[in-house]
Amino acid sequence: MSDLRAGVAHGSPSGDLCGSVREWLPQHVAGRLEAEARATVEGHVVGCDACRAELDLVNLLYESRAEAPAQLADRVIDAVTQRSSAVRRPWWGLSAAAVAAIALGIGITSEGTSFGSAEGDALATEFEEGEFWVSDDGMLAGAPSFDGLSDEALLELLEELVEESPGGSA
Amino acid sequence: MKDDRRLDDDVPDGPWVERARSGDPAAQGALVRRHHGAAYAVALSVTRDQDTAQDVVQDAFVKAFGALDGFRGDASFKTWLLSITVNEARGALRKRTRRREVGLEGAPPVAAGGPDPAEAAVMAEEAARARSMLERLPEKQRMSVSLRIDQGLSFREIGEVIGSSEGAARVNYFHGIRRLRELME
Repeated sequence: MSDLRAGVAHGSPSGDLCGSVREWLPQHVAGRLEAEARATVEGHVVGCDACRAELDLVNLLYESRAEAPAQLADRVIDAVTQRSSAVRRPWWGLSAAAVAAIALGIGITSEGTSFGSAEGDALATEFEEGEFWVSDDGMLAGAPSFDGLSDEALLELLEELVEESPGGSA
Repeated sequence: MKDDRRLDDDVPDGPWVERARSGDPAAQGALVRRHHGAAYAVALSVTRDQDTAQDVVQDAFVKAFGALDGFRGDASFKTWLLSITVNEARGALRKRTRRREVGLEGAPPVAAGGPDPAEAAVMAEEAARARSMLERLPEKQRMSVSLRIDQGLSFREIGEVIGSSEGAARVNYFHGIRRLRELME
Protein backbone atom coordinates (compact mmCIF):
# COMPACT_ATOMS: atom_id res chain seq x y z
CA MET A 1 0.00 0.00 0.00
CA SER A 2 2.93 2.31 0.55
CA ASP A 3 3.45 2.40 -3.21
CA LEU A 4 -0.12 3.45 -3.68
CA ARG A 5 0.23 6.35 -1.29
CA ALA A 6 3.49 7.25 -2.99
CA GLY A 7 1.69 7.14 -6.31
CA VAL A 8 -0.86 9.64 -5.07
CA ALA A 9 1.62 11.95 -3.43
CA HIS A 10 4.40 11.96 -5.97
CA GLY A 11 2.72 10.87 -9.15
CA SER A 12 3.72 8.05 -11.44
CA PRO A 13 6.93 7.57 -13.39
CA SER A 14 5.37 9.59 -16.21
CA GLY A 15 3.71 12.01 -13.84
CA ASP A 16 0.22 11.64 -15.29
CA LEU A 17 -2.94 9.82 -14.25
CA CYS A 18 -2.25 6.96 -16.67
CA GLY A 19 1.02 6.31 -14.88
CA SER A 20 -0.61 6.30 -11.46
CA VAL A 21 -3.40 4.02 -12.60
CA ARG A 22 -0.97 1.57 -14.18
CA GLU A 23 1.02 1.46 -10.98
CA TRP A 24 -2.13 0.58 -9.07
CA LEU A 25 -3.39 -2.12 -11.43
CA PRO A 26 -1.77 -5.09 -9.60
CA GLN A 27 -3.44 -4.02 -6.35
CA HIS A 28 -6.68 -3.39 -8.21
CA VAL A 29 -6.91 -6.89 -9.68
CA ALA A 30 -6.00 -8.38 -6.28
CA GLY A 31 -8.79 -6.41 -4.61
CA ARG A 32 -6.37 -4.52 -2.40
CA LEU A 33 -7.10 -0.97 -3.45
CA GLU A 34 -8.88 1.36 -1.10
CA ALA A 35 -12.28 2.58 -2.26
CA GLU A 36 -11.12 5.99 -3.50
CA ALA A 37 -8.25 4.62 -5.57
CA ARG A 38 -10.44 1.83 -6.88
CA ALA A 39 -13.01 4.32 -8.09
CA THR A 40 -10.27 6.34 -9.76
CA VAL A 41 -8.98 3.29 -11.63
CA GLU A 42 -12.42 2.14 -12.70
CA GLY A 43 -13.40 5.59 -13.86
CA HIS A 44 -10.16 6.05 -15.77
CA VAL A 45 -10.04 2.77 -17.69
CA VAL A 46 -13.51 3.39 -19.12
CA GLY A 47 -12.13 6.21 -21.23
CA CYS A 48 -8.51 5.12 -21.71
CA ASP A 49 -7.91 2.28 -24.17
CA ALA A 50 -4.23 1.88 -23.28
CA CYS A 51 -4.86 1.55 -19.54
CA ARG A 52 -7.81 -0.78 -20.14
CA ALA A 53 -5.58 -3.01 -22.29
CA GLU A 54 -2.98 -3.04 -19.55
CA LEU A 55 -5.64 -3.86 -16.96
CA ASP A 56 -6.68 -6.85 -19.09
CA LEU A 57 -3.08 -8.04 -19.25
CA VAL A 58 -2.46 -7.62 -15.52
CA ASN A 59 -5.72 -9.40 -14.80
CA LEU A 60 -4.75 -12.30 -17.07
CA LEU A 61 -1.42 -12.65 -15.31
CA TYR A 62 -2.95 -12.41 -11.84
CA GLU A 63 -5.62 -15.01 -12.55
CA SER A 64 -3.04 -17.43 -13.96
CA ARG A 65 -0.42 -16.95 -11.24
CA ALA A 66 1.45 -20.04 -10.20
CA GLU A 67 0.04 -22.07 -7.33
CA ALA A 68 2.41 -24.16 -5.26
CA PRO A 69 1.73 -27.91 -5.47
CA ALA A 70 -0.51 -29.10 -2.65
CA GLN A 71 2.08 -31.31 -0.99
CA LEU A 72 4.94 -28.81 -1.11
CA ALA A 73 4.39 -27.27 2.33
CA ASP A 74 4.39 -30.68 4.03
CA ARG A 75 7.49 -31.71 2.13
CA VAL A 76 9.32 -28.56 3.19
CA ILE A 77 8.23 -28.91 6.81
CA ASP A 78 9.50 -32.51 6.84
CA ALA A 79 12.87 -31.39 5.48
CA VAL A 80 13.14 -28.53 7.96
CA THR A 81 12.23 -30.78 10.89
CA GLN A 82 14.68 -33.44 9.78
CA ARG A 83 17.43 -30.88 9.44
CA SER A 84 16.66 -29.33 12.83
CA SER A 85 16.82 -32.66 14.64
CA ALA A 86 20.10 -33.48 12.88
CA VAL A 87 21.62 -30.19 14.01
CA ARG A 88 20.36 -30.57 17.58
CA ARG A 89 21.84 -34.06 17.99
CA PRO A 90 21.19 -35.35 21.51
CA TRP A 91 24.11 -35.94 23.82
CA TRP A 92 23.89 -39.69 23.47
CA GLY A 93 24.35 -39.27 19.72
CA LEU A 94 27.80 -37.89 20.41
CA SER A 95 28.33 -40.60 23.00
CA ALA A 96 27.54 -43.20 20.39
CA ALA A 97 30.23 -41.81 18.11
CA ALA A 98 32.64 -41.80 21.05
CA VAL A 99 31.73 -45.40 21.87
CA ALA A 100 32.42 -46.39 18.28
CA ALA A 101 35.74 -44.58 18.37
CA ILE A 102 36.68 -46.23 21.68
CA ALA A 103 35.67 -49.65 20.36
CA LEU A 104 37.76 -49.11 17.26
CA GLY A 105 40.60 -47.90 19.41
CA ILE A 106 40.46 -51.06 21.47
CA GLY A 107 40.78 -53.07 18.26
CA ILE A 108 43.82 -51.06 17.24
CA THR A 109 45.61 -50.94 20.56
CA SER A 110 44.99 -54.61 21.31
CA GLU A 111 47.38 -55.52 18.51
CA GLY A 112 49.74 -52.65 18.88
CA THR A 113 49.50 -50.21 16.00
CA SER A 114 48.10 -52.60 13.44
CA PHE A 115 44.89 -54.49 13.00
CA GLY A 116 44.85 -58.11 13.92
CA SER A 117 43.22 -59.52 10.81
CA ALA A 118 43.18 -59.19 7.04
CA GLU A 119 39.91 -57.26 7.26
CA GLY A 120 41.46 -55.02 9.85
CA ASP A 121 44.47 -54.38 7.63
CA ALA A 122 42.18 -53.43 4.78
CA LEU A 123 40.32 -51.03 7.06
CA ALA A 124 43.59 -49.51 8.17
CA THR A 125 44.58 -49.03 4.54
CA GLU A 126 41.29 -47.26 3.86
CA PHE A 127 41.97 -44.90 6.72
CA GLU A 128 45.46 -44.18 5.42
CA GLU A 129 44.14 -43.49 1.95
CA GLY A 130 41.53 -41.13 3.29
CA GLU A 131 38.55 -43.04 1.99
CA PHE A 132 36.45 -42.10 4.99
CA TRP A 133 34.99 -38.67 5.08
CA VAL A 134 32.99 -36.66 7.51
CA SER A 135 29.47 -35.71 6.51
CA ASP A 136 27.78 -32.36 7.16
CA ASP A 137 26.52 -33.41 10.57
CA GLY A 138 29.93 -34.54 11.74
CA MET A 139 29.30 -38.28 11.45
CA LEU A 140 31.54 -40.62 9.52
CA ALA A 141 29.94 -41.35 6.18
CA GLY A 142 29.22 -45.03 5.83
CA ALA A 143 29.43 -45.59 9.58
CA PRO A 144 26.48 -47.29 11.26
CA SER A 145 24.03 -44.93 12.90
CA PHE A 146 23.59 -45.23 16.65
CA ASP A 147 20.68 -42.82 16.78
CA GLY A 148 17.80 -44.14 18.81
CA LEU A 149 19.84 -46.66 20.81
CA SER A 150 19.48 -46.54 24.58
CA ASP A 151 22.48 -46.31 26.90
CA GLU A 152 22.01 -49.96 27.77
CA ALA A 153 22.00 -50.95 24.12
CA LEU A 154 25.13 -48.93 23.50
CA LEU A 155 26.91 -50.58 26.42
CA GLU A 156 25.89 -54.01 25.11
CA LEU A 157 27.23 -53.06 21.71
CA LEU A 158 30.48 -51.92 23.24
CA GLU A 159 30.83 -55.19 25.12
CA GLU A 160 30.17 -57.14 21.91
CA LEU A 161 32.76 -55.14 20.05
CA VAL A 162 35.31 -55.72 22.81
CA GLU A 163 34.56 -59.43 22.80
CA GLU A 164 34.78 -59.68 19.03
CA SER A 165 38.01 -57.71 18.72
CA PRO A 166 41.20 -59.78 18.22
CA GLY A 167 42.47 -58.82 21.63
CA GLY A 168 39.05 -59.05 23.28
CA SER A 169 38.19 -61.10 26.30
CA ALA A 170 36.20 -63.74 24.38
CA MET B 1 -6.52 -20.72 -1.11
CA LYS B 2 -5.51 -17.50 -2.82
CA ASP B 3 -7.76 -15.46 -0.54
CA ASP B 4 -6.40 -17.24 2.54
CA ARG B 5 -2.89 -16.30 1.52
CA ARG B 6 -3.85 -12.65 1.29
CA LEU B 7 -5.46 -12.72 4.73
CA ASP B 8 -2.36 -14.37 6.18
CA ASP B 9 -0.25 -11.53 4.85
CA ASP B 10 -1.98 -9.11 7.21
CA VAL B 11 -0.68 -10.94 10.28
CA PRO B 12 2.92 -10.00 11.18
CA ASP B 13 5.63 -12.64 11.01
CA GLY B 14 7.58 -11.30 13.98
CA PRO B 15 6.24 -13.56 16.75
CA TRP B 16 6.55 -16.63 14.54
CA VAL B 17 10.10 -15.68 13.58
CA GLU B 18 11.11 -15.28 17.22
CA ARG B 19 9.69 -18.68 18.09
CA ALA B 20 11.25 -20.25 15.01
CA ARG B 21 14.58 -18.77 16.04
CA SER B 22 14.50 -20.90 19.16
CA GLY B 23 13.72 -23.96 17.08
CA ASP B 24 9.97 -24.16 17.63
CA PRO B 25 8.76 -26.57 14.92
CA ALA B 26 5.20 -25.24 15.06
CA ALA B 27 6.46 -21.72 14.32
CA GLN B 28 8.65 -22.99 11.52
CA GLY B 29 5.69 -24.85 10.08
CA ALA B 30 3.52 -21.75 10.26
CA LEU B 31 6.12 -19.71 8.38
CA VAL B 32 6.46 -22.43 5.74
CA ARG B 33 2.70 -22.57 5.22
CA ARG B 34 2.50 -18.80 5.03
CA HIS B 35 5.31 -18.19 2.55
CA HIS B 36 5.92 -21.35 0.54
CA GLY B 37 3.55 -20.16 -2.18
CA ALA B 38 5.46 -16.94 -2.71
CA ALA B 39 8.77 -18.78 -2.57
CA TYR B 40 7.51 -21.27 -5.14
CA ALA B 41 6.37 -18.51 -7.48
CA VAL B 42 9.76 -16.83 -7.22
CA ALA B 43 11.64 -20.09 -7.71
CA LEU B 44 9.49 -20.92 -10.71
CA SER B 45 10.04 -17.48 -12.15
CA VAL B 46 13.80 -17.98 -12.06
CA THR B 47 14.12 -21.68 -12.91
CA ARG B 48 11.04 -22.04 -15.13
CA ASP B 49 10.87 -25.66 -14.07
CA GLN B 50 8.29 -26.93 -11.61
CA ASP B 51 10.35 -29.78 -10.12
CA THR B 52 13.44 -27.65 -9.74
CA ALA B 53 11.35 -24.89 -8.18
CA GLN B 54 10.07 -27.28 -5.50
CA ASP B 55 13.60 -28.40 -4.67
CA VAL B 56 14.66 -24.78 -4.49
CA VAL B 57 11.86 -23.89 -2.07
CA GLN B 58 12.82 -26.76 0.22
CA ASP B 59 16.50 -25.78 0.18
CA ALA B 60 15.67 -22.12 0.72
CA PHE B 61 13.59 -22.80 3.84
CA VAL B 62 16.19 -25.16 5.29
CA LYS B 63 18.87 -22.55 4.67
CA ALA B 64 16.74 -19.71 6.03
CA PHE B 65 15.93 -21.49 9.30
CA GLY B 66 19.56 -22.51 9.61
CA ALA B 67 20.60 -18.88 9.28
CA LEU B 68 17.79 -17.36 11.31
CA ASP B 69 20.17 -16.22 14.04
CA GLY B 70 21.72 -13.90 11.47
CA PHE B 71 18.37 -12.42 10.44
CA ARG B 72 18.33 -8.90 11.88
CA GLY B 73 14.87 -7.90 10.75
CA ASP B 74 16.06 -5.03 8.56
CA ALA B 75 13.85 -6.49 5.85
CA SER B 76 10.70 -8.49 6.43
CA PHE B 77 11.08 -12.23 6.88
CA LYS B 78 9.23 -12.69 3.61
CA THR B 79 11.56 -10.57 1.49
CA TRP B 80 14.58 -12.06 3.28
CA LEU B 81 13.31 -15.56 2.52
CA LEU B 82 12.54 -14.64 -1.08
CA SER B 83 16.02 -13.21 -1.60
CA ILE B 84 17.46 -16.53 -0.33
CA THR B 85 15.09 -18.31 -2.71
CA VAL B 86 16.33 -16.22 -5.62
CA ASN B 87 19.93 -17.10 -4.81
CA GLU B 88 19.09 -20.79 -4.45
CA ALA B 89 17.15 -20.72 -7.72
CA ARG B 90 20.00 -19.06 -9.57
CA GLY B 91 22.35 -21.69 -8.18
CA ALA B 92 20.00 -24.48 -9.26
CA LEU B 93 19.74 -22.94 -12.69
CA ARG B 94 23.50 -22.97 -13.07
CA LYS B 95 23.69 -26.61 -11.99
CA ARG B 96 20.88 -27.86 -14.13
CA THR B 97 22.06 -29.63 -17.21
CA ARG B 98 18.73 -30.61 -18.59
CA ARG B 99 16.24 -27.84 -19.02
CA ARG B 100 12.54 -28.55 -19.10
CA GLU B 101 10.68 -25.46 -20.10
CA VAL B 102 7.31 -24.80 -18.57
CA GLY B 103 5.20 -24.89 -21.67
CA LEU B 104 1.56 -24.24 -22.17
CA GLU B 105 0.71 -27.62 -20.66
CA GLY B 106 2.59 -26.60 -17.51
CA ALA B 107 0.68 -23.39 -17.01
CA PRO B 108 -1.45 -23.35 -13.88
CA PRO B 109 -5.18 -23.71 -14.29
CA VAL B 110 -7.10 -20.54 -14.77
CA ALA B 111 -10.08 -19.83 -12.58
CA ALA B 112 -13.30 -19.90 -14.52
CA GLY B 113 -14.09 -16.32 -15.40
CA GLY B 114 -17.76 -16.71 -16.17
CA PRO B 115 -20.56 -19.07 -17.02
CA ASP B 116 -19.72 -19.23 -20.72
CA PRO B 117 -17.39 -22.19 -21.31
CA ALA B 118 -16.27 -20.82 -24.66
CA GLU B 119 -15.33 -17.51 -23.09
CA ALA B 120 -13.53 -19.32 -20.26
CA ALA B 121 -11.60 -21.37 -22.79
CA VAL B 122 -10.52 -18.23 -24.63
CA MET B 123 -9.48 -16.63 -21.34
CA ALA B 124 -7.49 -19.73 -20.38
CA GLU B 125 -5.73 -19.71 -23.72
CA GLU B 126 -4.92 -16.03 -23.44
CA ALA B 127 -3.66 -16.47 -19.87
CA ALA B 128 -1.42 -19.34 -20.92
CA ARG B 129 -0.12 -17.21 -23.77
CA ALA B 130 0.58 -14.30 -21.42
CA ARG B 131 2.48 -16.61 -19.05
CA SER B 132 4.40 -18.02 -21.98
CA MET B 133 5.33 -14.52 -23.11
CA LEU B 134 6.36 -13.65 -19.55
CA GLU B 135 8.93 -16.44 -19.77
CA ARG B 136 10.63 -14.58 -22.60
CA LEU B 137 11.43 -11.50 -20.55
CA PRO B 138 14.87 -10.95 -19.03
CA GLU B 139 15.10 -12.31 -15.47
CA LYS B 140 14.79 -9.05 -13.55
CA GLN B 141 11.87 -7.84 -15.64
CA ARG B 142 10.18 -11.23 -15.32
CA MET B 143 10.67 -11.32 -11.58
CA SER B 144 9.58 -7.73 -11.08
CA VAL B 145 6.35 -8.40 -12.96
CA SER B 146 5.77 -11.67 -11.14
CA LEU B 147 6.52 -10.32 -7.66
CA ARG B 148 4.39 -7.24 -8.26
CA ILE B 149 1.36 -8.95 -9.77
CA ASP B 150 1.47 -12.44 -8.26
CA GLN B 151 2.68 -11.51 -4.78
CA GLY B 152 1.64 -7.88 -4.44
CA LEU B 153 5.08 -6.76 -3.27
CA SER B 154 6.01 -3.09 -3.22
CA PHE B 155 8.82 -1.89 -5.47
CA ARG B 156 11.03 -1.48 -2.39
CA GLU B 157 10.42 -5.11 -1.44
CA ILE B 158 11.00 -6.27 -5.01
CA GLY B 159 14.30 -4.41 -5.00
CA GLU B 160 15.32 -6.21 -1.80
CA VAL B 161 14.47 -9.58 -3.31
CA ILE B 162 16.15 -9.18 -6.69
CA GLY B 163 19.08 -7.16 -5.38
CA SER B 164 18.40 -3.78 -6.93
CA SER B 165 17.16 -0.36 -5.92
CA GLU B 166 13.48 0.48 -5.57
CA GLY B 167 13.75 2.67 -8.67
CA ALA B 168 15.35 -0.09 -10.71
CA ALA B 169 12.61 -2.51 -9.64
CA ARG B 170 10.00 0.00 -10.77
CA VAL B 171 11.71 0.48 -14.15
CA ASN B 172 12.07 -3.29 -14.60
CA TYR B 173 8.38 -3.76 -13.89
CA PHE B 174 7.17 -1.13 -16.35
CA HIS B 175 9.61 -2.22 -19.05
CA GLY B 176 8.45 -5.80 -18.54
CA ILE B 177 4.78 -4.88 -18.81
CA ARG B 178 5.39 -2.77 -21.91
CA ARG B 179 7.32 -5.60 -23.54
CA LEU B 180 4.57 -8.08 -22.65
CA ARG B 181 1.95 -5.88 -24.24
CA GLU B 182 4.04 -5.72 -27.40
CA LEU B 183 4.46 -9.48 -27.43
CA MET B 184 0.75 -10.06 -26.87
CA GLU B 185 -0.34 -7.81 -29.76
